[in-house]
Amino acid sequence: MDHAPRPLASTRSPSPPPEAPAAGAATPADPGRRDFLGAAFTIAGGAVVLLAGLDAAASGETHVPPPGGDAYNWEEHRWAYVIDTSKCIGCGSCVRGCKAENDVPDGFVRTWVERYIVGPGGSYVDSPKGGLDGFPPVPTAFTPTKSFFVPKMCNHCKETPCVQVCPVGASYRTKDGVVLVDGKSCIGCGYCVQACPYGSRFLNPATHTAEKCTWCYHRITKGLKPACVEVCPTGTRAFGDMMREDDPVRQTIDHERVSILQAHLLTEPQCFYLHLDMEVR
Amino acid sequence: MPEITGYAFPNDIHVHWSLMIVMYPYITGFVAGAFIVSALFHVFGREEFRPVARLAMATSLCFMAVATLPLNLHLGHPERSWLVMVTPNLSSAMAGFGMLYSTYLLILVLEVWFVWRQQIIESARRSRGWKRTFYAMLALGTYDTSPEAIAIDHRAATILAAIGLPGACMLHGYVGFIFGAIKANPWWSSPLMPVIFLLSAAVSGIALLTILYQVVAKLNRRVIEGRTVAALARWLWFFLILTVTLELLEIIMLAYEKSESWHIISQLLTTRLEFSFITIQMVVGSLIPFILLGVVVLMDRYLHDRVRNTLCIASSILLLLQVFSMRWNIVIGGQLLSKSFRGLRSPYSPEIFGREGILVAIALLIMPFVLLWLFNRVLPIFGDDKPHAAGGHEPPPVTAPVAGVHAG
Amino acid sequence: MEHARHVFRIALVLLVVITAIFLGRGFLVPRSYGTFGPYRADNVAEQMKIRPPAHAGAASCAPCHKAKSEAHDAGGHKAVSCEVCHAPLLRHVTNGTVSGKMPVDRSFTLCARCHRRIQGRPDKFPQVILEQHVTSKLEGAVCLDCHDPHSPKP
Repeated sequence: MDHAPRPLASTRSPSPPPEAPAAGAATPADPGRRDFLGAAFTIAGGAVVLLAGLDAAASGETHVPPPGGDAYNWEEHRWAYVIDTSKCIGCGSCVRGCKAENDVPDGFVRTWVERYIVGPGGSYVDSPKGGLDGFPPVPTAFTPTKSFFVPKMCNHCKETPCVQVCPVGASYRTKDGVVLVDGKSCIGCGYCVQACPYGSRFLNPATHTAEKCTWCYHRITKGLKPACVEVCPTGTRAFGDMMREDDPVRQTIDHERVSILQAHLLTEPQCFYLHLDMEVR
Repeated sequence: MPEITGYAFPNDIHVHWSLMIVMYPYITGFVAGAFIVSALFHVFGREEFRPVARLAMATSLCFMAVATLPLNLHLGHPERSWLVMVTPNLSSAMAGFGMLYSTYLLILVLEVWFVWRQQIIESARRSRGWKRTFYAMLALGTYDTSPEAIAIDHRAATILAAIGLPGACMLHGYVGFIFGAIKANPWWSSPLMPVIFLLSAAVSGIALLTILYQVVAKLNRRVIEGRTVAALARWLWFFLILTVTLELLEIIMLAYEKSESWHIISQLLTTRLEFSFITIQMVVGSLIPFILLGVVVLMDRYLHDRVRNTLCIASSILLLLQVFSMRWNIVIGGQLLSKSFRGLRSPYSPEIFGREGILVAIALLIMPFVLLWLFNRVLPIFGDDKPHAAGGHEPPPVTAPVAGVHAG
Repeated sequence: MEHARHVFRIALVLLVVITAIFLGRGFLVPRSYGTFGPYRADNVAEQMKIRPPAHAGAASCAPCHKAKSEAHDAGGHKAVSCEVCHAPLLRHVTNGTVSGKMPVDRSFTLCARCHRRIQGRPDKFPQVILEQHVTSKLEGAVCLDCHDPHSPKP
């Protein structure tokens, strides 16, 4: 233990550090000088490390104008979604609307509809092409006693497993409560796809980046509803603002008995369900 | 289009983490495992590992050099991979990789430098022209080979090995963490995952060195030290027992607890992974080597050297297969089951050509050995292993072609 | 101490490398990264205008298609937005001018998506067993022979 701590001890050398820039020139000088150089570099290096770390860490909360300019202030909204499964007729309009609105690639879905056919003898679940072309009649091996549709999509969780695992900060949650993917930063590692318990994410085969429902962020920031809500013919889907007291969606969430998907995972989904059956996961 | 049994979420039918993500923990496993072997000598002073200590360290470094390749081959945007280092999201287990990897690489390079320094200097003294410049630069211009300086080298190597050991464990335990911390996936989500990964890394590292040591010794016409092989076998057996116990415990717990995911996982194991899990990982890869190594460990004194060495090579090959199938079953298996817990995807078979294909995987496995050969050309691995510090018995004959002749 | 010279040299090299890495990192961090959190803040605005909204809602059809619109709003399909059976407005109108013909699917499969009797649909919702309901050949725009899609009667 006599040699290793040595360089550290030498940092206590009394010389003041301002000559540090001259460092590079000196190579085979006397050991004392080198001790000093080591010390100077330690200090300089430490400072650089600190500075480099700070500029990213210091979230400039002081006063940065919100993104989106004057037209839309993300601090004045907090979006939420309510799905009343008892109203869904499984037409798949939402899936088609989403695809048309967002150029969703074939074979993938940002929103989809599941069908549950349940009886004492068993249960059957399907979602052909995510419900894009509706549902066919199916024979079941058991006698069904109830059957229903469940629309699904990104839950825009408050405690997002997907944002948590993104290594480069390409996934993030906005102040108005929407989970987004920055397609220019995404490295396409697929970790978020693995981490989402709801299967809401996929890797776009064309762009090789992660993609998901954005609650139609390009629409809601212009005062429009998400496309799926816009085209839903039965009022199954509703989108609203938790910052507005009279908002019907907020009223429902505040006063009705709502459920969320996979509550035990504590992801705090912001899609709330009415009349959800226990078969649904 | 993959076929689905039961119901899978519509986005859940793709195996995004391909063969390359199987290769990645397999390769980093060798990094950690080989380092553990070198640490057994450098830190714990197990004399019987002296003949493999330097080989182990060089192996660790060579595998380290290719460890990031499978990841980059897998990424959708490898050209952006530097963002992991520049804008790491601190809550991401994957972002930790950048830091752990660089730290460990640093430690490893430093340790290699200290261990090989004397040889670098000798090479610098012996050679002329650009070669001399190269070695002089490697030596950083100081040619101090006095006993005091050498003592400092040993000390530094020991300290670095002592830091490197937890570093290697972290590096690989962390790979297990990447999977173990995904609460969405019941086949991955388990605190045992990092431990299992780490132990199986030790298995793969020791198995690899058991083979490599004998092959390299044969190639260099050196004596294969019986006690070294026997010691490797003992440790291999120990880590094998630990790994398989934990691998089984994890599944038994799921089954006994009748956890909600057991229904789908039991189907996964008995249908999709029947061959790769039950046949390969458990029977061919675990049970058989357990018996073979058991013979070596318990009946060593009755065994002829050649029989023992052959048994060790055979079980090491099986164990390399076991560890690979374990990585495969975890990485691929976890993606065959849907998070709906109601459906399984048809088995995944990797492409042959292509960026994430089988040929690339094979190339990735060959590359470290090419690097090792290069390493040996530049810094001979067996050049100088005369005993130091602890004072072993046999200063083995220096026969490696470029080996260090102790110049003035 | 003089025998530890190489240790200081390697330490120096190390410091230079580490300093270079941290200095280099400073140049590489994207401009708006970290403004609101560990992500590129510019992306929020980029997402707002990632593409023009395609769906415009039923109200946007009325100015040009007054009669159809009124009939629709008074009938049994008033809750079904025009764009469900036709297509997003963006296919038809861009920047206030007609840019393309509005496609429409007249086939029975469109009607069947909502009104075919299948498991899952709420019982109260009007639905038929296609094969029994249609006595003629089940093809093309067979539904429109009897039903007006804009204001259907049961």
